[in-house]
Amino acid sequence: MLTFIIRRILWGILAMAIVIAITFLLFYLLPSANPAVLRGGRNASPATIAYISAELGLDKPIYTQFWDYVKNIVLHFDLGYSYYSSASVTGLIADRLPATISLAGGAIVVTLLAGIPVGIVSAIKRRTFFDRAAMGTALVFVSAPIYWLGLIALYLFAADIGRFRVFDGSGSYVALSTDPGRWFGSLILPWIVLAATLAAVYARVLRGSLIDVMGEDYIRTARAKGLRERRVIMRHGVRSAITPIVTLIGLDVGSLLGGAVLTESVFDIPGIGRLNYDAIAHSDFPIVQGTVLLAALFIIAANIVVDIAYAYLDPRVRPS
Amino acid sequence: MSHLINTRVFAAVGLAAAAATLAACGSSSNSSSNTNTVKQLPLKPGESPSQQQMYNGKKGGTLQVYNQEDFEHLDPGAAYFSVDYEAMYATQRPLYAYMPNNDTLAAPDLATAQPTISDGGKTVTVHIKPNVMFGPPVNRAVTSADVAYAIERGANPNIGNAYFGPYFGAIVGAEDAKGKVIANGGPIAGITTPNPTTIVFKLSSPTASLLVGALSLPLSAPVPASFAKPMDAKKPTTYGSKYVVATGPYMFKANPKTGEFLNVGYFPGKSSVLVRNPNWNAKTDPRPAYLDQININVGGDQTVIGRQVLTGTNTMENDTPANTIVKLAYQKYPSQIVFTPGAGDHYMAVDNKHGPFKNVNVRRAVWAAIDRTAVVRVLGGTLVAAPMTHFIYPGVAGYDQSGGASGPQVPWNVNPAGNLAVAMKYMKAAGYPTGKYTGSATIQYVGENAPTATARDEIGVQALTALGFKVHATYVDQATMYSKYCGVPAQNIDACPNVGWIRDFADPQTVLYVPFWGPGIVPTNNSDWGQVDDPKINAAMDKAALVVGDAARAQAWANIDRMLVDQAVAIPEDFDFQPNIVGSGVRGISDIWDIGTWDYSFSSLK
Amino acid sequence: MADAERGVTGLQAEGGEIAARSPLALFWRRFRKDRVAVVSLGFIIFLILIAAGAPLVVGLVGIPGPTVQNLSLTDAFGSPLGPGSGHPFGVDELGRDVMARVIYGTRVSLEVGIIGTVVATMIGTVLGLIAGFYRGAIDTLLSRFTDVVLSFPVLVLGLGLGAACGVRGCAGGLIQPGLGTILFIIAIVNWTYVYRIVRGQVLSLREKDFVEAARALGASDSRIIFREILPNLIAPLIVYSSLLIPLNILLEAGLSFLGVGIRPPAASWGQMIADATNIFQTAWWYMTFPGLALLLTVLAFNLLGDGLQDALNPRSGR
Repeated sequence: MLTFIIRRILWGILAMAIVIAITFLLFYLLPSANPAVLRGGRNASPATIAYISAELGLDKPIYTQFWDYVKNIVLHFDLGYSYYSSASVTGLIADRLPATISLAGGAIVVTLLAGIPVGIVSAIKRRTFFDRAAMGTALVFVSAPIYWLGLIALYLFAADIGRFRVFDGSGSYVALSTDPGRWFGSLILPWIVLAATLAAVYARVLRGSLIDVMGEDYIRTARAKGLRERRVIMRHGVRSAITPIVTLIGLDVGSLLGGAVLTESVFDIPGIGRLNYDAIAHSDFPIVQGTVLLAALFIIAANIVVDIAYAYLDPRVRPS
Repeated sequence: MSHLINTRVFAAVGLAAAAATLAACGSSSNSSSNTNTVKQLPLKPGESPSQQQMYNGKKGGTLQVYNQEDFEHLDPGAAYFSVDYEAMYATQRPLYAYMPNNDTLAAPDLATAQPTISDGGKTVTVHIKPNVMFGPPVNRAVTSADVAYAIERGANPNIGNAYFGPYFGAIVGAEDAKGKVIANGGPIAGITTPNPTTIVFKLSSPTASLLVGALSLPLSAPVPASFAKPMDAKKPTTYGSKYVVATGPYMFKANPKTGEFLNVGYFPGKSSVLVRNPNWNAKTDPRPAYLDQININVGGDQTVIGRQVLTGTNTMENDTPANTIVKLAYQKYPSQIVFTPGAGDHYMAVDNKHGPFKNVNVRRAVWAAIDRTAVVRVLGGTLVAAPMTHFIYPGVAGYDQSGGASGPQVPWNVNPAGNLAVAMKYMKAAGYPTGKYTGSATIQYVGENAPTATARDEIGVQALTALGFKVHATYVDQATMYSKYCGVPAQNIDACPNVGWIRDFADPQTVLYVPFWGPGIVPTNNSDWGQVDDPKINAAMDKAALVVGDAARAQAWANIDRMLVDQAVAIPEDFDFQPNIVGSGVRGISDIWDIGTWDYSFSSLK
Repeated sequence: MADAERGVTGLQAEGGEIAARSPLALFWRRFRKDRVAVVSLGFIIFLILIAAGAPLVVGLVGIPGPTVQNLSLTDAFGSPLGPGSGHPFGVDELGRDVMARVIYGTRVSLEVGIIGTVVATMIGTVLGLIAGFYRGAIDTLLSRFTDVVLSFPVLVLGLGLGAACGVRGCAGGLIQPGLGTILFIIAIVNWTYVYRIVRGQVLSLREKDFVEAARALGASDSRIIFREILPNLIAPLIVYSSLLIPLNILLEAGLSFLGVGIRPPAASWGQMIADATNIFQTAWWYMTFPGLALLLTVLAFNLLGDGLQDALNPRSGR
């Protein structure tokens, strides 16, 4: 087991290295804009541009540039500086991470609270009106683009501009440390929107999985033993049917921590996703690279955690 | 030259009665009943910027600003962007500054009076106020040496100033004989400070009027050498990105001991806080500075921000609201919106050196074909834009002399709604007997991928397609558009729609010189996007640069404008009029010299 | 895009539950009984016909083509006119007919959805077969590579390539601008899902008796892979492809929403929604109709996928 974990982590580190290399190649070999010009600003002279190119090391061979980049990340945890504000990327990420964690954490909680009960009830009450209505709604949420849902939600429910002024609207986010009450209020709508689409998937997956499990022999055995149906479902059925949900939680937490770009943009939450989006819109590569690496780190870490959790839960999963 | 127009900030809005009439004359007949209603309403609801009452506001309170766009540079040596200027002129005091209502003459700010020009236009002397203090942590009186250092550091590559060469290069010792900047941030021989309140500039050519104009740019705001020098040695400097010292009525909230404002009063891409500068002395400054604090929130959907501002009380948006918000404001909150004329222009740069647009008659044909009234519509109608008819835009000296609203009455310019028959006549003159392009070239057309920008660019595509061109249109983010494609001649982009250049100060040269002066073409970061390089125009510009006197300069540059129209060097799209919105409890004062953005030092709460 | 990531993780999890025992005929017989799925299939066929005959349909309805600009159909503030005679879905800010653009947008969505899925499925299947059958180093290498691909944010990749390759393409013509870039992104990301599923199936199939038997009879590797294993994968592959199509349609819409994708003036639903966000409050129709078209199309593919899955694995049937 221990060797499995170590090997998995080593693979994770290698994967990170490859992601760093791909990001570097993508933005240095195929830059969407000239970094020296962006840094130099509007109408900078050719001499200034040449100077900045040298300063950024753009005149060095590609492998030297790559080596410098990796060295700074590994040795100094330094991801470089924004071309525009000259703020350190590491600092920007640290500043934005709490908002993203708030959004992701709350959304996952709401997702589980909504998705799991609906999934279980749908599976048990298969083919009933509830099941059809719930699964139909879920499918609509799965099929709808999240930016569209977010805008509709704002125009319906936001306190400042909505038809029914229920929840705090866009741009109302405050840090938890500033005011927990307002923090909570400002995140309700984004949590619901993000959770609506996630919960739809969870409910569908859990329903399918639970239906499969309930057809297994050991469930029939449990029933035959005269156990109460409720106990059969909860203790035997849901317990084993929930494993795919564990995978989903792991992967979703991983990808949400990397920044929910569209949700953060629509609700104006100053998190990693918006940092990334703004940076792309301005070709601010150091920030783009930093946020990509962060997102990859979270996803890879989540994958490792899920794999290890699986190995514990299900001994049949042998390291390949 | 002038700072580049940021279309995102600047999606532009329009003006004047003349424009409304012009649009109505266009062939694009309007079936919508709304049109008539609009024409009957006063064209500028709320106060007109040029009549706005700058003083007698109420003192105190906190203003809540919602901007979609963040600042780019907060170092007075690097700031060169209308949104940067909003903070720059509230926190820094250059030698001269424009008052909100005046876009023709800068008033003395740090200086005591207008400069003295002597030695046949080769010497400029400025006296500064003795009792202006630096804010914390420097806390001492500003001297002329601080102004000298501020300008000298403009040549330091670590600062990244964009305009030192063109405006300050004539100072003795700044450039070599070939016009290459040789100063590097250290002392410049031509800048002397005979005493702590006097600064003298010696020039190698008689271009004092250009230099005087440039002394209203943020570069002339004093920078304390002892404090900033160690920072300026870093690549890039940390002055203006991590630390900064204020002289204006406001300062970014900062650590009072170190002057560090990053993540104290400025959170990049997120928010900023401006507070009062404790060392500011109202007696030295014409700015009333009514507000106690300004909170700036960055980001969010444009339509959402706009509604928040209009339905709020102490709220303000200080970049361009969406079309729908302009409409909403105009119809429901007319006292909360103003339209500022003279906010710039936009045109399609076309490659004058290569490809089909090398032929002047092809360029005239495209000019004749493009539906400029359609562009105005897409931008939000005649309140926010008018068809562009020549290159000096409204509000800039020389505008009337070069044709005013309707522009020169040449055949390719007289139909703002586009006239295909006229266009085809010029295509025939260009050697395409059918009146349509029959060559094999595909037009590489690169625009910006913001929603309104893309829609307006499609109108240009329509015009080109109507003339038989095969167009390959690509829309990318603005930074990519300029720095990778349109600013790089080697990329061979045929057309870049929606580009423009706004004045840096009240002189027509700053509008025409950068984008159309041939010798200024460079391989990267080129701002003569159409590679316009006509020897006659170049020579006329060199001559006009030396003309002295406001009226004479206006006429000289108006003549150049006529040459540009005659050669159809670019395809006109629109003149911009900037809309600006506030909440119900704010008395906003608009800077007509800075594309109409609200001035934090003059606006107040009701 | 969060959308894509979410949907895909859902797909993977669902995939784990599917067994591949039913012959194709049985599969079809079961499918026919699922009314919802059959209706969805009918709707999709209808969409395909609309896409194929777009010019004809637009002509029959009697509306202008999708790129015809008519600014007189906007009011003095540039706000487009809503649904009315001559323009059933209203017009956009350039006065172009929204219905015509929605109809032509079907082409883009289906093209991207189907071509992208076919390419991704082919790559994923071949690599999955190889990895699952031979295991060892090649399996490890490919599997870890999928980790890397999956940990790379799709949107960033899309936006980066879109900006870099938008004008003249890049990588020596491998990545074409516009539709080519979108297809490249879809293929390079989505083969990994197919790969994972195929690999998993092959790992279990290769231990089955009939494979052992074939091997004992001296069948070559390629014969075992293509004659013995692949036929057993056809049904699950149909199911997964049908579930990948809606994801790809959403991904295209998301990329177009962010400005990477189909070259204007061609119409794409995602791009129309993006344009509409700016005028949403005054022109509800501009966001609603493309959004509805997107929703219904994705929904139809999802329902079809569900039906196929149920037919494949009757235990999960409704």
